[in-house]
Amino acid sequence: MSPRYLLRRLAHVVPAVAGILVVAFVVIQAAPGDPVLALAGQHGDAAYHAFIRQKFGLDRPVFEQLFVYAGNVIRGDLGHSWVHGRPVASLVAERLPATLLLMTSALVLSSLAGVLLGVAAARRADRPTDLGVRLAALLGYATPSFWLAQLAALTLALGTGLFPVQGISDARGAWTGWRHALDVLHHLALPALVLAANELALTARLVRAGVVDALGAEYIRTARAKGLPERAVVRHALRNALLPVVTVIGGRVGMLFTGAVLVETVFAWPGLGQLLLSSVQTRDTPVLLGLFLLVSGAVVVTNLLTDMAYAWLDPRIRYE
Amino acid sequence: MTRLLRPTALLNLALLLAIPATVGAQTAPARGGTLVVAISADPGHLNPAITTSGATHAAAELLYNGLLGRDERGDPTPELAESWTIEQNGALYRFRLRPDVRWHDGTPFTSSDVKFTFEDVLLKLHARTRASMSGALAGIDTPDDRTVVFRFKQPYAPLLLQLDATEAPIIPRHVYQGSDPQTNPANLQPVGTGPFRFAAYRKGAEIRLARNPTYFKPGLPHLDAIVMRVIPAAGTQVLALENGEVDFLWAVPGPDQSRLRTDARFRLAQTSYHPGGSNCIMTVGFNLQRPLLKDVRVRRAIAHALDREAFLRQVLFGEGRVAAAPISSELAWAHAAGLAMPAFDRAEAERLLDAAGWKKEGEATRVARGVAGVADGTRLAIDFLHFPAFSKYGELMRQHLGAVGIDVTPRPLEPAVFAPTVFKDRNFDTNVISYCNGPDPEIGVRRMYHSSQIGPAPFTNAAAYRHDRVDALFDEAGRTVARDRRSALYRQIQEIVVQDLPYFWLVETPTTRAWAARCGGFRPWTGLFAEAASCKP
Repeated sequence: MSPRYLLRRLAHVVPAVAGILVVAFVVIQAAPGDPVLALAGQHGDAAYHAFIRQKFGLDRPVFEQLFVYAGNVIRGDLGHSWVHGRPVASLVAERLPATLLLMTSALVLSSLAGVLLGVAAARRADRPTDLGVRLAALLGYATPSFWLAQLAALTLALGTGLFPVQGISDARGAWTGWRHALDVLHHLALPALVLAANELALTARLVRAGVVDALGAEYIRTARAKGLPERAVVRHALRNALLPVVTVIGGRVGMLFTGAVLVETVFAWPGLGQLLLSSVQTRDTPVLLGLFLLVSGAVVVTNLLTDMAYAWLDPRIRYE
Repeated sequence: MTRLLRPTALLNLALLLAIPATVGAQTAPARGGTLVVAISADPGHLNPAITTSGATHAAAELLYNGLLGRDERGDPTPELAESWTIEQNGALYRFRLRPDVRWHDGTPFTSSDVKFTFEDVLLKLHARTRASMSGALAGIDTPDDRTVVFRFKQPYAPLLLQLDATEAPIIPRHVYQGSDPQTNPANLQPVGTGPFRFAAYRKGAEIRLARNPTYFKPGLPHLDAIVMRVIPAAGTQVLALENGEVDFLWAVPGPDQSRLRTDARFRLAQTSYHPGGSNCIMTVGFNLQRPLLKDVRVRRAIAHALDREAFLRQVLFGEGRVAAAPISSELAWAHAAGLAMPAFDRAEAERLLDAAGWKKEGEATRVARGVAGVADGTRLAIDFLHFPAFSKYGELMRQHLGAVGIDVTPRPLEPAVFAPTVFKDRNFDTNVISYCNGPDPEIGVRRMYHSSQIGPAPFTNAAAYRHDRVDALFDEAGRTVARDRRSALYRQIQEIVVQDLPYFWLVETPTTRAWAARCGGFRPWTGLFAEAASCKP
């Protein structure tokens, strides 16, 4: 992949993200709802509402608001949350690590387990293992994550008493170092499993289909004919079968974030999902726009990474 | 000069000693330990003086005090002020402050903190206190460090009920003066006078409080620390309590209550107090500007058609009461008992609708025959706006009113959309709102009926009800300090509005707190609920 190509692709990121921001701004403005309500609550007179509106510039025309906002973003200022009264950048930065931890764990877990299960099923195509994996994958893919989360909390946490149902750490524990890390892992287990379930199912099905397909190809017959051990044969097949899988995994980072919103809410995981949900409810526009910026940026960058991984997996692909 | 209460130092001491003897307290409260409390939203900041947000108040009130506290019946008790007098028929209130109170940073608390908090913060940013008090107040004087005087333009009745940490928490002048109170860094590193001091705030996750060793109430608090855990899903909160991860819940959903109640590991208590709004009644509002609903016979028919016991059973799982009057029974002195509220009576509803010109003509839905302002043949169809969380009210409305020939279309709208649709655009026929009466009818009831409260401000007079006599009675009640005379005025108001039915009052909705049985001493009726709490290890 030439550096020029990379630069050109990176240059596309800016207009893409800018476009997303403008559309998001307009959509939020067009949606009904009043942010002042979240600040005033049930009580408060007209003067109070006018005061708040003026304080946050909500009494200005929409285009002026957009103009001011865009100018600030270019200068690197994402603005202040109306509800929290603090810079959006720090609100997001405080919660990003928890969400990254959850999403990365789920992504790694689902990719590894998905590939392993998919290969296992493909090697025993149409036998009980394969049927079991396919059925489980179908169920896993069809189950909504918020329901799976509640089920997991009821059975795996409350039922066995082995797992906590909420939070990123024990409220009574004040550990540091490796003991704290263990505590976080303990709390991470259920949410990561639940968030991974959907992706895992999808990956397993894709890998299985790809490997079954590849195992029937001519080059595999050649490999077997020249006496390669079965492990090496499967590795050959897997490399080709992974191409569509990488595309799908890369393209689903946005979906994973959506899943994280639900899973974080059920397990009280202190990440961006909770912030997104509460900001939608209170119409906290600066926070919403900051989150859109982050997520759209992440999706655009992942797409780029996916394309690069593609070229690495398939030497026939050249980007100019 | 009326001298209502001026406890002597001795009486004061007795009051303080009496505090630990509260609901569920053990004989000798254990010292030490950590209490884990579930809160349903990340508060964002911990300054309860700049907001009425339930999230901030639930998390932060234990850090602060009001001039006064509240007892189980909602009546005022000494707090930062040890005594007070009411002069000039209630146009002047004089408070004597405790001499021994210090802020968490060691600075002495004085009358200038009170003056500053009201003038620069509460009367600008606390929506409830601003709306009720700012127009009436003439000034606040501080003749010395221990005296605060509130001067009103005319007698002002509700003051003593709006001075607790929910309505008027006092914040430190030396920390906030000269800054924007909404962005002052102290909102995240709060300095108060309360039983607990701030320890740590992990955003989106938890707030940690530690015992205030120099708290002005001797022997309190018992606990070493409190952790406020952010758990947004109500179901998860209950699971966390059952799993031993948290010790205290602000609210238990109806369906989970019977399970917890029969479990010896937990204790439950019902209260109508909530830092986000107390003494709430689920209230159906009629848009009186709509021709369909102008005739009181139609509104009365709707009231007769609604089986409020069914709402209590099916929506609240029995947690609450059918509303017996427009003002909550929790405000016992203002609540008018024995009113002739329309009873569940379908035949009467049908009779009233027939009489009003809405006829049954074979179809399930009635049609207009000679109704003023409505074209003949118009179907009796209304919409019903509600928060998504209140969808069961919509289902029952549809079912009960459908039975008498009224077609109801429920329209679920999330809060941020509901408020402007109802109060600004006035685009609705009927709605349901959880109107919280607050600590005094001046604060939470007047706004529903007074004609000056018709306008775009949310949760005011949704019906657009206008009645000169009711306006005058509210105005008079607002400047009448003697409680028996105020009671009589509120009774007259309730008698009128029950006849006019601009609203129909369905059910009172107290909430149920739950805690681990090894803990006790909670006072669920105030924001300083864990001031005297303790937990066995």
